[in-house]
Amino acid sequence: MPKNGSVLVIGAGIAGMKAGLMLAGASKKVHLVEKLPIIGGKVIKNEESFPNMECSTCMVAPVQQEVLQNSNIETYTYSDVESISGSKGHYEVVIRRKARYISLVNCIGCGMCFDPCPVSIKNFWEENLMDMKAVYIPTAGSLPNVPVIDSTHCLHLNGTQECNLCVESCVFDAIDLNDKDEVITVEVEAILIATGSDVFDLSLLPDLGYGKLSAVYSPLEFERLFASNGPTQGELTLRGTDVSPKRIAIIHCAGRKDVGYCSTVCCMYSFKFVRFLLHKLPDAEIFNIYLDLCVPGKSYQEFFTTLGEKSTKMLFTPSIDDVKVTEGDSALNVSYPDASGETAELMVDMVILAAAMVPDPSLGDLAETAGIELDNHGFVKRTEKDTGSMETSKEGIFVAGSAQGPMDIQKSVIQAEAAAGQIMKIMSDSAVEPDNESALGS
Amino acid sequence: MKAKVGVYICECGPNIAGKADLDKIITYLSEFEGFGDVELVVKKYGFLCSGQGKVYLEEEIKKQGLTHLVVGACSPRDHDSTFREVCSKTQLNPYLYKIINIREHCTWVIDDMEKATEKATSYLRAGVARVLHHSELFEHPIDVNPDVLVIGGGVAGMEAALSLAAENRNVTVVEKSDCLGGRAGKLSGFSFQKWSSPDQAEKLIKAVRDNPHINVFLDSEVTSVIGFLGNFEIEHTSLESKVITELLCGSIVTATGSDLYRTTGTDGFSYSGSDDVYSSMEMAEMLASGEEIALKSGGKPASIALIHCVGRDEMNYCSGVCCTVMFKTACMIKARHPDISITHYYRDICLPSGGGQELYSAADSAAELVRVKSCILSGTTVKFKDKTGAESEQAFDMVVLASALAPSEDTKSLSELLGIPVDETGFFQEAHRMTNASATTTDGIFIVGTAHGPKSISDSMWFARSASGQILTKLIVGEKLVPEVAVTEILEAYCTGCGNCLDVCVYGAIYSDPARGISIVNSAICRGCGNCYGSCPSGSLRTKHFTNTQLYREVDEALR
Repeated sequence: MPKNGSVLVIGAGIAGMKAGLMLAGASKKVHLVEKLPIIGGKVIKNEESFPNMECSTCMVAPVQQEVLQNSNIETYTYSDVESISGSKGHYEVVIRRKARYISLVNCIGCGMCFDPCPVSIKNFWEENLMDMKAVYIPTAGSLPNVPVIDSTHCLHLNGTQECNLCVESCVFDAIDLNDKDEVITVEVEAILIATGSDVFDLSLLPDLGYGKLSAVYSPLEFERLFASNGPTQGELTLRGTDVSPKRIAIIHCAGRKDVGYCSTVCCMYSFKFVRFLLHKLPDAEIFNIYLDLCVPGKSYQEFFTTLGEKSTKMLFTPSIDDVKVTEGDSALNVSYPDASGETAELMVDMVILAAAMVPDPSLGDLAETAGIELDNHGFVKRTEKDTGSMETSKEGIFVAGSAQGPMDIQKSVIQAEAAAGQIMKIMSDSAVEPDNESALGS
Repeated sequence: MKAKVGVYICECGPNIAGKADLDKIITYLSEFEGFGDVELVVKKYGFLCSGQGKVYLEEEIKKQGLTHLVVGACSPRDHDSTFREVCSKTQLNPYLYKIINIREHCTWVIDDMEKATEKATSYLRAGVARVLHHSELFEHPIDVNPDVLVIGGGVAGMEAALSLAAENRNVTVVEKSDCLGGRAGKLSGFSFQKWSSPDQAEKLIKAVRDNPHINVFLDSEVTSVIGFLGNFEIEHTSLESKVITELLCGSIVTATGSDLYRTTGTDGFSYSGSDDVYSSMEMAEMLASGEEIALKSGGKPASIALIHCVGRDEMNYCSGVCCTVMFKTACMIKARHPDISITHYYRDICLPSGGGQELYSAADSAAELVRVKSCILSGTTVKFKDKTGAESEQAFDMVVLASALAPSEDTKSLSELLGIPVDETGFFQEAHRMTNASATTTDGIFIVGTAHGPKSISDSMWFARSASGQILTKLIVGEKLVPEVAVTEILEAYCTGCGNCLDVCVYGAIYSDPARGISIVNSAICRGCGNCYGSCPSGSLRTKHFTNTQLYREVDEALR
């Protein structure tokens, strides 16, 4: 295979998009594969991101637009990498573009197809906090702003009945219920894995009540609850009610002992949550139950100290693993060992668990497909030959962002830029001619 | 030549056509006489952004011989660039076109069709008024120099140099001290089991020395920087001989590192060097060199206190590396001198790097860990409040202070020399804290390693490579750069040289010409943000494509 100036980027979150744009700007052809129907990654789930408390959508949407409009980037949304073969400089990659049933070219995202659809399902992207139709966009502001049909629940596609209501409602002829998966083979010189991370499965910590007590929230659930484009339009009400919490406990280090590392972002997002809460519920009482404050970096501690003592009560516990959340008479009862080791109790009506970051569950399969090694925590392992390198155990395959380990936005982008530079350096000088026809981004 | 303005309205299916009476708009604009003898061509089309729509628009521009173009469609975020590209395929300069958002601003937000039609009409009329005052603008690609100047020869600087240097890209490293390696270079041997990354410094020094595309100047300082991305002119001066060397490069990587926080005495820690109180760095050097750990008076200490978080409150940040260094210190002392008792006084454990928890466990068995609310030092006696608030004290033979990483002394002067700001922590300020942390507001100047803020060696290396990544993808050998076209220009006759614009320009694009008593805008650096435009009391600044005339005419027509 001749050197063709192409590169594969897996994952269209902040790291994948940034690296993709840099390489595309340097006249490389970028194949950007994203498993979800939309690009943007986890950052767009946050209403605001620390430490700047900047509107995440405002920060990321221009990047998403640029990715979709860049003629050197071929975006494959709702797609998986099926196989990777070859070696450094010559990889052959098979991409499965799953049937979306809606044309990325014809659809303008008007949303007229949602109402007629008779099927309601849980919205996974909104952490199951709201419903969506079987024809859906995950969230307002999705990019590309083109729905997808859930083939397991669509009555037509799962064979339940000859429902055609969405097709009839579309004035753009954009819906095709006979759409099929498409298998595409691309040849690339290098690969970047930027598949991001997930949140620790909190149901593994039965003492904390997650999944059993409705007022116990995961961090992503709380992010969406606060988001103005989220399930409650940003109204902070307890699950299944229209009541706002008055006393809230944020429990740190949920899963830290189980995963065996400190995720370094949880303290920061916990303090962000304090700001969120005070912004909307100025009279709320907020408690942080913590063991260690981990706020490394030049601007992070300040993010905490500027909160001030009145904003939140910092409750130190020497034994964060002995915190328990149980159902109390009218609310939740949180018990924890205090500084002297005595058991202290706290009544609250909402608990947010600051959960560890863990590898994305699909990373194991991808590592096998790509033939790369993972570290003992399940994140992508970097080469041992070169300390600063973003190369994986396999030459020509690189990693960036939280697929490599728990990290914040800043470090994810830094790694993406680092990886883009390394890829640029190993790739041939052959540039691709701009191809305007692919500018729509699919 | 008589102006002929095309107004093309996209129906966007029912999104625009269904909510506004386009025929009424077309009739109105076609018959509108407010633009004098300007000829107007007003048409509508199904989907202008579709492949067919773009071809249609391209042919119309050519066939009709349009001199200006207004497209009534969606948000410019969606398709401004689409139609700009269409223009660039025709005789029409893309700056003589304007997209008018009649979807998000009109038909999507107004239910009453008559009102939506009225608003869309006035927007389009305003668009025509504005575009008639647009001027043609042209791109001027400039040649770029791919070479790079790296200031600072520590781990970050060397990592940047090595990841950039190539056959067609030379890197010059200017280092103030008499050797490469920086702080990490002094610590080879400061390693415990797998926590031994500082040994990396030696490997890097050798690689830099062996690389024919890297030129190192020791005992030297950068003394003059002028220019912009792609074309910098540098002077660096030998500290000893005062010989000045000139250098041309396209970008600059600032890797000047950091200092250790200096205790002030008022922070509760006296650190004079006269008693047995050491900085973490001094202890690490002692351990790295393999020297015996000895008291000033001679003899071996029986007990050592390791105090974490020194300077954390004063600096108002956690350096993120001190816990790791202290735990490593404890493990190394214990491995060599099992009989020395070691006690950590810490407030929080912060181990952000992978493997941190394992090091913590190792340290836990090597030393006693005492969590404190606060602590101070009196001689070598530690006075502290424990986690419950109870006060205690404990005497030691030796004390090690884990001091915060602080901005290096020359940060201020370098900031002035390079024209890059320093933030509230005293470190160099990044372009964007989250999404562009190794860049500065000046294109082509980067900050890496602990010059950006306290960080570990691996984070320093990633910052270095991040800057390399940006340079490698932006300054490509043999390719030209296209600076922003819609920039600000200065009408010299009106400028009084007051200098307001210099203060507000965040890109350092404006400088003062004292001989003529005026300000000068460097159009290769200017981004056309308009900050200066608003600050100018004499009206001598003009941002192309956003002139007063253009804006006033647009507003006048919108409100007619």
